[in-house]
Amino acid sequence: MSDVLIRNEPVAETPYVAAGVTISLALPMQRLALRARRAEDLETVLKVTLPRKIGASEGGIACLGPDEWYLRAQAGATIPTASGLPVAITDISDRSICLVLEGPRAAEILMSGCPLDLNKFAVGQVARTIYETVEIIIIREAEDRFHVELWRSFAAWFWIAMTTAARH
Amino acid sequence: MILIHCPYCDEKRPEIEFVNAGQAHISRPLDPSSQTDEEWEAYLFIRANPRGRHHERWRHTYGCGRFFNAVRDTVSDKFETTYKAGEPRR
Repeated sequence: MSDVLIRNEPVAETPYVAAGVTISLALPMQRLALRARRAEDLETVLKVTLPRKIGASEGGIACLGPDEWYLRAQAGATIPTASGLPVAITDISDRSICLVLEGPRAAEILMSGCPLDLNKFAVGQVARTIYETVEIIIIREAEDRFHVELWRSFAAWFWIAMTTAARH
Repeated sequence: MILIHCPYCDEKRPEIEFVNAGQAHISRPLDPSSQTDEEWEAYLFIRANPRGRHHERWRHTYGCGRFFNAVRDTVSDKFETTYKAGEPRR
């Protein structure tokens, strides 16, 4: 059913191109919030290995907190559900959208409002942090490519902030 | 910008990611109905306001989301140490 619905994205669907950076909307994907006191329980359910260090990511799963993980997968991928173990697996696919910043100025543009030093941010590292007043999750996919996950309702504002920073 | 060490992330992160959550090490009386009005008032409202070393709860809201305890100097705003919630007072 949802396949035939028309998606209305809060940001432009055509990439914004500026000198040194391209800002675009990532393809729709599946997102799951994973919570468990014991990581082993989640590993049993999902049949994967979870990263244990906060900020690390492995196979599309990022560790955000001591009992919290964030899974991103291709839209339509089948994710096993829980089986009596004390875990919480919540589908939050449409809560967030993902903007992709690509280019040599990507880090600089994110740092216009994010207090982290992204020059020291390793490829593959993930951090939940803040941009001005908006909670974001930064994922460094490559040396010059960042994925920024944020709540859909903040996306229109964030898009303006990013494109304004990119223009300057 | 002040950098605060988060004991869960084990990393120094910018102050803007954190939120102060008041005085630390205040536990709720196990049997509230046995409390006198004065004791209950003290638990609910009476807080220390020292000049100098102060134990506080902080939350890494825009990060791992965890509460932890910190010892901060209220004069210099310098963080002496931070430690996980549940660990003994330092």
